[in-house]
Amino acid sequence: MLRDVFKSLGGFESYGLISMIIFLVFFVLLLLHTVSLRRNDVEDFSRMPLDDKSNESEDNQDI
Amino acid sequence: MENQTFYYDNKIVKNFAYATLFWGVIGMVVGLLLALQFIWPELTFGIPYTTFGRIRPIHTNAVIFAFVGNGMFTGIYYSLQRLCKARMFNDLLSKINFWGWQLIIVLAALTFAFGATTGKEYAELEWPIDLLVAVIWLVFGANMIGTIIKRRTSHIYVAIWFYIATFVTITVLHVVNSLAIPVTLFKSYPIYAGVQDALVQWWYGHNAVAFFLTTPFLGLMYYFLPKAANRPIYSYKLSIVHFWALIFLYIWAGPHHLLYSALPGWAQSLGVVFSVMLIAPSWGGMVNGLLTLRGAWDRVREDPVLKFMVVAVTAYGMSTFEGPMMSTKTVNAISHFTDWTVGHAHIGALGWNGFLTFAVLYYLIPRMFQTQLYSRKMANLHFWIGTLGIIFYAVPLYWGAITQASMWKEFTAEGFLKYPNFLETVTQLAPMYATRAIGGGLYIVGIVLGIYNLILTIKAGKFVPEEAASAPALVSTGSKRSSGEGIHRWLERRPVQFILVALVAILIGGLIEIVPLYLVNTNVPTIASVKPYTPLELQGRDIYVREGCYTCHSQQVRPFRSETERYGEYAKAGEYVYDHPFQWGSKRNGPDLSREGVVSGRQYKPNSWHYNHMLNPQLLNAQSIMPTYKWLIADDLDLSTTAKKIRVMQTLGVPYPEGFDKIANDDLMTQATGIANDLKSQGIQVEPTKEIIAMIAYLQRLGKDVHAAGNPTANITAK
Repeated sequence: MLRDVFKSLGGFESYGLISMIIFLVFFVLLLLHTVSLRRNDVEDFSRMPLDDKSNESEDNQDI
Repeated sequence: MENQTFYYDNKIVKNFAYATLFWGVIGMVVGLLLALQFIWPELTFGIPYTTFGRIRPIHTNAVIFAFVGNGMFTGIYYSLQRLCKARMFNDLLSKINFWGWQLIIVLAALTFAFGATTGKEYAELEWPIDLLVAVIWLVFGANMIGTIIKRRTSHIYVAIWFYIATFVTITVLHVVNSLAIPVTLFKSYPIYAGVQDALVQWWYGHNAVAFFLTTPFLGLMYYFLPKAANRPIYSYKLSIVHFWALIFLYIWAGPHHLLYSALPGWAQSLGVVFSVMLIAPSWGGMVNGLLTLRGAWDRVREDPVLKFMVVAVTAYGMSTFEGPMMSTKTVNAISHFTDWTVGHAHIGALGWNGFLTFAVLYYLIPRMFQTQLYSRKMANLHFWIGTLGIIFYAVPLYWGAITQASMWKEFTAEGFLKYPNFLETVTQLAPMYATRAIGGGLYIVGIVLGIYNLILTIKAGKFVPEEAASAPALVSTGSKRSSGEGIHRWLERRPVQFILVALVAILIGGLIEIVPLYLVNTNVPTIASVKPYTPLELQGRDIYVREGCYTCHSQQVRPFRSETERYGEYAKAGEYVYDHPFQWGSKRNGPDLSREGVVSGRQYKPNSWHYNHMLNPQLLNAQSIMPTYKWLIADDLDLSTTAKKIRVMQTLGVPYPEGFDKIANDDLMTQATGIANDLKSQGIQVEPTKEIIAMIAYLQRLGKDVHAAGNPTANITAK
């Protein structure tokens, strides 16, 4: 199917393929990196909007 | 570490909130007037300032940049301070941002009403106001980035990433799409022409939807939804993937607005592929939003803020599924140029942007005024009236779109168009247009209720202009990554580097979409018979742009038998090479005009018909919904600009002979006198210097060059 899609790109098959590859590489790297994030960090970050008082010094240190 | 006390600036948030409500009502009432003009065209009142073509940009710009824009600033100024645990960087910049933005809105409304427009959808502002937009936008950016830099939290929360992407991308889009050479204070020609102009314009148009109507509101969703639900976002990891995949992908997909057009097929296909892929990150965001409410759905029943949010996020999901579907060629063949696009846009504007804006206002106004919302019942009523309004607005338009597209495409058993008269396909839609107007009216009633409720809330409360907060200062440990710190984790505490990476991400997609622009440049076949417009036609074209004719008429015949039978030869890239700006349009409330001047064509009408049609369209077609343009008959053509216009066109590469600017008005008068004499022979007395003569000259030129080429493909030569 993909071949058919790119066939319709006429003389610019490689252009379409390169575009797709750039995105896929970017996406896979992003996915791998995201999966490898530390659970504790992620939980802290996700609570940021709820943390109105903001007196926890740990959260306020630039690690 | 010792806590520092500081104060959130609520006054600026309040100002933006009031402006949101004010412009929301204005923008939507103008929209309602437009909707009613479909039923009663006399509601243009016979004056230029209230014709459909002039107030349609007022409506779209008011809703996008005034209502949604002020709503966006309201939410950003509120949430950014709290997420950064810092006051806005500079109060003066905040004020300049606010008052500058309101000035732009007023100038936009006035200039559009007076006919100063570039003729490019959602980028209609003329060059001096474009410059002002750039300055005010940079002020906003400086204020935002300054705040992020002086924050008291180490981490930059995901909502702020979306705000950063908004700022960076809109800056790039605005600058690239607005490049133009001024002719007068309120008239310019874009540096691009025809296919290139179309590609840049829809790269801008598509991404203005992405980065003005979507990313800032996703940022607001990531802040206000957890706040309102009092629980963290469902998956922070998903938000990282959502953010990067969305900003990286969105910018590639612009060409889906130009399917079946004269844009090269490979560029169209590229747009289709990436548009379909966009479903994934978009729905990632929607799922993340909705799943945040897991375990809190019982509160949705009670809390109007959450109700508005749920419908807003659902509307986002609907729009972002529908958009990619409309990008496929099969669906696009039906949806494009019909009311489907309008229905789609309003699911986004009324559902996603409108409802999320009201959710934010219902959330933050009681808090800034230290009180409770005056009436939950009234807010719930607003919610239901608004929801019904959206349904009554969109469903008839979908129905009408499929009806009209089917009528356009239907042939008799003998092989003729079943509905050769375009008007038949419009009058068929009258009940749908009436229902749409009711839907729009309902939505406005809901907003008025909402405003009333908020006014009573404000009256009952006491405003806190300076809200005290405290947090320890941020301890810096340098710019290098610490051991065990991931790249993204590092990026999330380095705002400048984050901005640069976001810029690179959008530039990759942007460049990949812009590269075709240059490839197109070398691939636009030049049709030998396509010549520059005569000075009279050029003046006429500028009147066509001024009156916003493109808001109802396309100039793009798609390669379908149903279109070539109705209009004539399908569109070629090479026929638009002198069109600064392109005028392909995106909606057919009236027929396509690009073959209007082909004497042997189906669309041709004599000069006298055009004269009478502009004077009183209903005299020729009783059911026509076109408004009168009688001022074109009364008003004199401005001959003082002709020479300058020719010179600017020469600068842009249009091959007028050297010194032609000096004799341009003589050429103009010769052609104008010919048309005036022809009208005279039909019993119509009109001076050759009137605007109507130029307009007729332009309309009679459309399609002539391609027709003169005979079999167009035989006469195309590569540049």
